[in-house]
Amino acid sequence: MDIFGLAAVLIGIVAATMAFIWLALRVSNGASSGRDPNASHLDQAEKDVEHIFNDEFREELRNRGRLHFEKIIGENAMFLQQDLRLTTSQLNDFMKTEITKKLQDEFSKYEESITDAKQMAIESITKTQEAIEEQRQMMGQQLLQEIENEKSRMVKRFEENLGDIVNHYVLAAIGNQIDLNDQLDYIIADIEANKEVIIQDLSDGA
Amino acid sequence: MEHNQNLQLPVSVVGVTDVNRLDRELVAIDEFLHQGAIREPGTAMKLPKTSKLFDELISTNGLNLLQEADRSALRNFLRSIQTNAPRLHISFSADPSPLFLQRLMNYLREKINPKVLVQVGLQPNIGAGCVVRSTNKVFDLSLREDFRKKRGLLMQHIQKLEAHDTKQEVQA
Repeated sequence: MDIFGLAAVLIGIVAATMAFIWLALRVSNGASSGRDPNASHLDQAEKDVEHIFNDEFREELRNRGRLHFEKIIGENAMFLQQDLRLTTSQLNDFMKTEITKKLQDEFSKYEESITDAKQMAIESITKTQEAIEEQRQMMGQQLLQEIENEKSRMVKRFEENLGDIVNHYVLAAIGNQIDLNDQLDYIIADIEANKEVIIQDLSDGA
Repeated sequence: MEHNQNLQLPVSVVGVTDVNRLDRELVAIDEFLHQGAIREPGTAMKLPKTSKLFDELISTNGLNLLQEADRSALRNFLRSIQTNAPRLHISFSADPSPLFLQRLMNYLREKINPKVLVQVGLQPNIGAGCVVRSTNKVFDLSLREDFRKKRGLLMQHIQKLEAHDTKQEVQA
């Protein structure tokens, strides 16, 4: 039984109680409120009624009614108790189910959020790694280019200054063994090769 | 004037410093003879000393310094050399010996100009050879310049050696 059934039972009990009270009031008020023109008939009828429904009989009816009412009340209370227990149990189940469902929903949302966040973090990390890898490759290429440039520069400088390098090496290796007197023929030959230019320059003057 | 043109510089006279010194010695002798002429006979006078270079100059040109004409000719010649002689600046990697300079001056006086004077310089980094600087030009006749000029040949040899080494490495 659900909550609507329980409410219907309660409404039924309350309606029965109200009907019984209304009937009792109507019976008790019936004698005093009559204003019939045939008063004698009525009085006669009242007397007959009083004769039939005397106080003892009324008391008997009242007691029976009371007992019946108590019985109904007891039964209804028992039903109510059972229904309450059932309702409580159902309510507990319902609450448990709802809470579980709610919690599951929340957990699933939470899990979804965590999954999204995790995905976003993974994507971010992946992007960062890609960027780092790209940067690393770029830096590697730049470094290789720089090394290549430096190498070319050094080779170029070496080639440009090769004469000086060899001269320096020769000087360091055998510089102290080169006698100027031995170079005289070589020097004279070189001057001889430039003799005409030297003579011309000397004759031209400053 | 004619006598002046026939005078020659000995090869031991290398630079303008030597010429200046010869001129100073000639002036000293000139003054000595002049003072001897005006002083009273018997007065003690100190004879000026002359250098070996000066003696060589006198003997090379056969001059008699007691003659005023010879002294005058020599003076004019030296002044002419001081002012007009062509000059060369030659740098070597080491200090040249007198014999070396003598042979070099012999060649220069014979082939370049009989009155040429040389100022000797020192450039230890040229290795061998010399650097000649005339009035307006510089002639780098050093081993360093020779290596520079033959850089292509050196590079060619280095590349040959490198190719040979690479071939050997491949074979190994």
